Amino acid sequence: MGYVAVTAGEEIIERAEQLFEKQRIDGQETDISVDQLDGQLGRLTAQAMSEGGLYAPRLAALAVKQAQGDTVEAAFLLRAYRSTLERFDETVPVEPSEMLASRRVSPAFKDVPGGQILGPTKDYTQRLLDFDLIEGDSKDPTADWETTEGSDPDNADDPEKLTNVMELLREEGLIDEPDEPDELAVDEPIEPTDTTREPVTHPPDRDAVLQELARGETGAVTALGYSALRGYGQVHPTLAEVRVGRLPVTIEHPYTGDEVTVTHTEVSESEAIVPVYAKRDDPQFAFGYGLTFGRNERKAIGMTILDASIQLDGVTEPAENPEFVLDVVDGMDSFGFIEHLKLPHYVTFQSTLDRIRSIRERKGVGQTGQVDTEIRDDGSDDDSGNDGSASGSSDPDCGHDDPDSAVDEPTPDEEPVVAEVSDDD
Amino acid sequence: MTDQIMTDEPPETVEYQLRTADESSVATDGGTTVSSDTVDGETDAVDATLDALESDGLSGYNYAYLDEHTKREVRRSMLKAVAIPGHQVPYASRPMPLARGWGTGGIQASLSILGPDDRFKVIDQGADESVNAANIRRLAENTAEIETTTDTTDADLIQTRHRIPEEVLTDDQILVLQVPITDALRKVDPSDAANRRRHAHKNYGKMWVHLYENVVEWGEINISSRYPTMVGGRYLMDPSPIPRWDVPKLDDADNLFVFAAGREARIYAVPPHTDVEPLAFSDREFTVERFGGQSCHACGSTDTYLVEVSEEAGDTDRETNNTDREFETRYACNDSSFCAKRRENPELPKDHHLDRGGVDWGPKTASETTGSRKTAAGKTKSPGGEAE
Repeated sequence: MGYVAVTAGEEIIERAEQLFEKQRIDGQETDISVDQLDGQLGRLTAQAMSEGGLYAPRLAALAVKQAQGDTVEAAFLLRAYRSTLERFDETVPVEPSEMLASRRVSPAFKDVPGGQILGPTKDYTQRLLDFDLIEGDSKDPTADWETTEGSDPDNADDPEKLTNVMELLREEGLIDEPDEPDELAVDEPIEPTDTTREPVTHPPDRDAVLQELARGETGAVTALGYSALRGYGQVHPTLAEVRVGRLPVTIEHPYTGDEVTVTHTEVSESEAIVPVYAKRDDPQFAFGYGLTFGRNERKAIGMTILDASIQLDGVTEPAENPEFVLDVVDGMDSFGFIEHLKLPHYVTFQSTLDRIRSIRERKGVGQTGQVDTEIRDDGSDDDSGNDGSASGSSDPDCGHDDPDSAVDEPTPDEEPVVAEVSDDD
Repeated sequence: MTDQIMTDEPPETVEYQLRTADESSVATDGGTTVSSDTVDGETDAVDATLDALESDGLSGYNYAYLDEHTKREVRRSMLKAVAIPGHQVPYASRPMPLARGWGTGGIQASLSILGPDDRFKVIDQGADESVNAANIRRLAENTAEIETTTDTTDADLIQTRHRIPEEVLTDDQILVLQVPITDALRKVDPSDAANRRRHAHKNYGKMWVHLYENVVEWGEINISSRYPTMVGGRYLMDPSPIPRWDVPKLDDADNLFVFAAGREARIYAVPPHTDVEPLAFSDREFTVERFGGQSCHACGSTDTYLVEVSEEAGDTDRETNNTDREFETRYACNDSSFCAKRRENPELPKDHHLDRGGVDWGPKTASETTGSRKTAAGKTKSPGGEAE
């Protein structure tokens, strides 16, 4: 049928895929390897893992490669794959103090137990394009460093445990305790919420909020977090600390019941004190927490602000409304729905055209195009019931409206027409 | 259909394989290959199962892609939805290998009830050949070993985006509609929490006010598709963005309608023979789309939902690449499979496959009435307009 603009079948889909794949390898002498992606573009793979909710660096590198660097698409590939995997077990909850930190800064205190660890960061370098990288040679700038043993976290004898900065303040009673989940009233162990297995309903428990934020799209988390700082909210936190490091993944051995560390995940973590007093009779700071897979301090801090904002239970500011934040923060959702606008909308648009033509006709501004004229001619036959009511009342209605408004009425300040046209999907 | 589901369930020991060229390089990390050091017999069984799957389906994935627990959960949600017509039932929508907003809810519903003996039809905005419909059909074909068809009357299960077919559905057919926005009240309040409260209290005042304001401002209700519709006199439902033309078909139908949203993780349903009534006022009645007496340029139908297309007038000569070309508007049937039948038999009624005639299903076929279009259009509103 020639009139279906997007007419196809499997062959066309396959060809489109092949063209896309061709773009990836166009003019490339060498195929970029999954190892190279994992090693040299770690931020990309970290973002894909964090938004995909699956810690698997090599799979993430593969996804990034397949998606040609589109992180949301890569995260999407990981999520779709993850959803087919069996969930074997739950890990033992891990204490942040067990982290082998490669970087740790505390903006709250000059000196903290364990010290400040600047670690690998670009924070203080000048943002100048380094043209030497064009002809990049892989010289290790730290090769000449005189290091002692223990520089490699894998082989460190006894990594120093870093006391959590928030703990110091908690001991002093300055920080509000998080709301206990409702289930705690019942005397049995609480199953953690898993938003991939049960739908989020409102108001959500905090663990559901944290899970959704941790899987949120980096740009969305950053933007919404920034909105609170910018003034659409009350949260302007002081970061207790920001850490990047490796957390052990520990499970209970199925036979011995002992706790065994099976692997490590690299995470970025951030905790903040919010100078909003949580209780009137016992003034304490509010707080926020953020944790995300891989190195992504920006997202961790954004998540911290959003966690703190949501805990304030406000609804007027976007960042404080859990429904708003959770509805828009997920990259898969926003990506899919925004891009679906590319799908055919012939049916709904025809319906929309019918409404605007009918209303313009009623307002007496029906244009003289062929279509409208024909509707005028035939309409009385075709829609006898409709026209009965319409013609009976159209005159009084037009009189009732401001006659001037009829001219430019199709685009009023208020949203009705625009809203109906745009949300019909 | 449910009892067919269990037949092809592979043993639980089968793990999933990554379907990529780099399989070997990623297998260690993902831990995804079938482990080779299992007991021999077990390995053989696994291999046999995998081989069996290899021939028809997507290698290593479960029958109909989703795992059995997920399918069961989706079916339970559907049963609950059938029990409470029009009520939105939350379910844990899984990430699918299709983008959210592209039919992931519909495909989860379809895959959960498809069995190997079923014939499956997928339409997108009325067309079987649309790219997205083809893509969804391909996923079902690859994973569920089902037959597919483009013939509405031949299908056991039809997944559709934004249309209800022109041909009348029967009591052994299920129509799965893809849903982008689950709540009719979203028009008047973006908050799901607030809207759930309204549904609980059957408090639809805000929607009525919205419609009233429409009438005051524009003289009539300007909602095009996604027309707010009352189900069973209890729940206000978003019928998905079907045109108003299709809304009357929901009322007192023989078939089950399942509405499934992937992104918003909700399932709802209109069971057979449920009263479905679009909201309207007695002096501003519900109306369907008008086509100004136009007929389909291909089959001549005047009783089907038409879409207009701009086509180059006169001879189209691609080689000349003439930019001064005139364009003209033509109308064509939106339901492409029924249009194909009508082109062979222009008199074919929409209920030609049923024993009885004169079935209520949207606007009537002209030949069923006395031949006068006036009568035909007059009856347009009766099925949905004022419910009995």
